Amino acid sequence: MNKPSFVYVVYIASTPEKVFAALTDAALTEQFWHGTRVVSDWKVGSPVALELKHQSKNITGVVLEVDPLRRLVYSFQPHHGDMADEEPSRVVFEIEPQKDQVKLTVVHDGFADGSKVFEAISRGWPLILSSLKSFIESGKVLYPDWYCENASAAQGATS
Amino acid sequence: MTAAAKPRFVYVTYVRTTPGRLWQALIEPEFTRQYWAGTWQESEWKVGAAWRIMIPDGRVADSGEIIEIDAPRRLVLTWRNEFRPELHAEGYSRLSYVIEQQGDMVKLTVTHEIDRPESKFIEAVSSGWPAILSSLKSLLETGESLEATRRWSFAK
Repeated sequence: MNKPSFVYVVYIASTPEKVFAALTDAALTEQFWHGTRVVSDWKVGSPVALELKHQSKNITGVVLEVDPLRRLVYSFQPHHGDMADEEPSRVVFEIEPQKDQVKLTVVHDGFADGSKVFEAISRGWPLILSSLKSFIESGKVLYPDWYCENASAAQGATS
Repeated sequence: MTAAAKPRFVYVTYVRTTPGRLWQALIEPEFTRQYWAGTWQESEWKVGAAWRIMIPDGRVADSGEIIEIDAPRRLVLTWRNEFRPELHAEGYSRLSYVIEQQGDMVKLTVTHEIDRPESKFIEAVSSGWPAILSSLKSLLETGESLEATRRWSFAK
């Protein structure tokens, strides 16, 4: 049986510079990532913190690869609820310029069978990446119902 | 064959629009021509009706039959490729659109599956759908589709 792996491709009318900045600048992530500040100095080996607005504990990781404007890889370890017991997984962002658009591929893998983190991120990434595309193309972001109605919902953990 | 072995492509996207407008954008030619490689669909849009996608040069790209239709929430149809012999040979696949309103946005889930292992057809649509659905989202949110998806040459 194949290990669980999440793959998502989205095309954005933008440039690699803008897409890379949106993924690595906490002041930008805070806007489209539902309040999450993604904080790091983005050097290989440096820590990464996903400071979640509605959780007391951050998601943490380490920068594994950086090829500015092209590729970014970091490990991913939630620390809340029963997800805290799982081994860190891995997020890969690939940015490919194509004429007047950018192809962004997100691969999140390194999960054990039955991973709860995998279930949570499979729900979370489509909304985050839809909001990212809206933010870059139109300046508007997308907020899920739970963001406003239930600030402490468990769903907020990984989104 | 287990369910897990059935080739299946699933894509979820969230669009700032209404279910009615998203439904229109999925089936009406004036919309699809802008984001779906210049193509348009022909159907009476009722259960049992034939359905096909037309290529601007007059050929049929894909064809099938409407299985379920509940505007503007759910559309299920059979789908067979008609312009690439190796994909045509795989026969009918099943495509579903599910539209759910969530606050001021709409969640669209597209599921495309086929009852045969190692499907080249599902491999082909897996690379096509993200481009088409990204362009659809751009069109509804900004008024402009993605340039790369506006002409048939994209889909060849």
